Amino acid sequence: MSVKPPMSHAKTGGPLGAAAPKAPLKTARPSSAVPRDVALLVFLRDRGILVLWAVLLIGFAIWNAPYFATANNAMLILSASSVTAVYAAAVAIGLFSGAFDLSLPGVGALASCVTAVALQNFGFAIPLALALGVVIGALCGFVNGWISLKGLNPLIVTIGTLSVTSGLAAKVVGGYSIYGLFQLEFMGSARYFGIPSHAFIVAALYIGLTVFLTQTRAGIRMRAVGGNAEAVRRAGLNERQYRMMGFVFSGTLAGIAGMMTMALVGEASPTASPGVIFTALTAVALAGVSLQGGRGSLPRVLIGALILGTIADGLTIAGVEPYWATVSTGALMIGALLLDKYLTEAISTRLVRISTLNVHDGVK
Amino acid sequence: MAHPDSPPALALGGIAKHYGYVKALDGVDFHVNAGEIVSLLGDNGAGKSTLLKVMSGAHAPSEGTIRIDGKLVTKYTPSVASDLGVEMVYQDLALVDTLDISTNLQLGREPLRPFPLSLFGFVDFGKMHKATRTQLDKLGVRTAPPERAVEMLSGGQRQVTAISRAAVRLFERGGGVILMDEPTAALGYEQTLMVEALIKRMAAAGFAIVLVTHNLPLCLNVSDRIVVLNRGRKVADVMRAQADHNKIVSWITGADRAEEAVA
Repeated sequence: MSVKPPMSHAKTGGPLGAAAPKAPLKTARPSSAVPRDVALLVFLRDRGILVLWAVLLIGFAIWNAPYFATANNAMLILSASSVTAVYAAAVAIGLFSGAFDLSLPGVGALASCVTAVALQNFGFAIPLALALGVVIGALCGFVNGWISLKGLNPLIVTIGTLSVTSGLAAKVVGGYSIYGLFQLEFMGSARYFGIPSHAFIVAALYIGLTVFLTQTRAGIRMRAVGGNAEAVRRAGLNERQYRMMGFVFSGTLAGIAGMMTMALVGEASPTASPGVIFTALTAVALAGVSLQGGRGSLPRVLIGALILGTIADGLTIAGVEPYWATVSTGALMIGALLLDKYLTEAISTRLVRISTLNVHDGVK
Repeated sequence: MAHPDSPPALALGGIAKHYGYVKALDGVDFHVNAGEIVSLLGDNGAGKSTLLKVMSGAHAPSEGTIRIDGKLVTKYTPSVASDLGVEMVYQDLALVDTLDISTNLQLGREPLRPFPLSLFGFVDFGKMHKATRTQLDKLGVRTAPPERAVEMLSGGQRQVTAISRAAVRLFERGGGVILMDEPTAALGYEQTLMVEALIKRMAAAGFAIVLVTHNLPLCLNVSDRIVVLNRGRKVADVMRAQADHNKIVSWITGADRAEEAVA
């Protein structure tokens, strides 16, 4: 699976919005042209992450020649980025709809432990056990949403449910990891046509979710709720329903990510590592998803996860101590945030300037 | 103005609102006809925001009656108001910055693609943008293409978008009341002119418009009638021609009263 540029643009919704500067040509209204410098800034803000990834790939390819730019290494990067990508999607979908969900590692652990017990101790069929894991994830998301919608801050609520879910996961498996889940290899370390199985799962999830978020009513309203819940309420819609959907999607994806980890290592561990949430958040922040909600695009989040995988892989091949991978991803994220802030401010300054120009020209 | 024999689009009778011992409103009569622009003026704390909230259904009055198109409404809430064709344009606009103008305008009534796709809720963006373009043309609004994200708009264009959204929702019913809270508070001079022109066009299209504002030039430019509140009471209700800047200031500050019965 090679990564394509974002198929569609979450921000403006729909294929027409993909190129904001192009829209004026279609409508041919006099005041509608976005000046070239603004268009360039918007391009950098929305597509800059692709440029960054390309630069990293080329840089590592030269630095680590001939070991980096190989098909096999590309598969390693894909494989290493997959679980991060699914957790990142969970975080991002939560943020789109205005929910900050920190319980995801716990939900992942609980889903995987329940699935493992169902498989090993109760002899569930594999599809049934996996479905159970997905349902557990969705249920955890529902509980998070149900509590948060009572007016509590999701950040705090999900710290609580992180504790609850990881505790429950340990209870389910009796405190010890369940080993030897070889029957899940088909969705773990297996490869099809030379491509890791995880990459297929990630591709299916991202394509499905991107279409959902940009093309369907419910997806658009979910993003609207994250951007401005008041606008959705005043449109006569049930704003709580769409916020709840964000939580449920988030929990479901965490459950899937937990089961992917379990399938890969062949072991269900009740220890929820909070680290995955921060790696996922790094990918999400790199992708320019706003923590305030409503802003961001899923394909960019995928690139964010791939960038993290690329850096770790590239530095390892170069023989750099692994600590530097952590340092550099952190620095990169902060750099990305600063750049995003600068670009956003530059765009709005220029837009205010041209809107004043427009009225002075007598164009309405 | 509407036909003299048709009832007002919105009429309040003897409205009082108490907060504990404080009387925010005291026996206020107010009405607006279809096609009419009424400005509601008053100093801070005079009760104009409270009266506007009573009109939008956000506050239930302690006493008084509310009639819409002549019909008495008993349980009046924001959703009832919306159902009966009373739309409010809030000062904070409540637009989704990251979505485009079209999606903002059609939120809650997005057109769907034909049958098999409609089951999954696929939105027909082409149809949606076209509907938006038609509706904006009807209002004479040509600010920006419907596909433009709201965050890319200037303050005046956002205000115009928020007002248009209220109007678009009323188009389906063929008319209604639009309540506006300080529509030009955050705007520069030229952008204010743009919003003024839109308000006039909407009245010409038959909407009844209530304008709460501190902006006297705006009020004098667009109003058909001017209502002034002072300490919760109505102190003036006059046609535009009978008011000038100095008179209005004296009514607002409470130096003078000029209540006249205007049908």
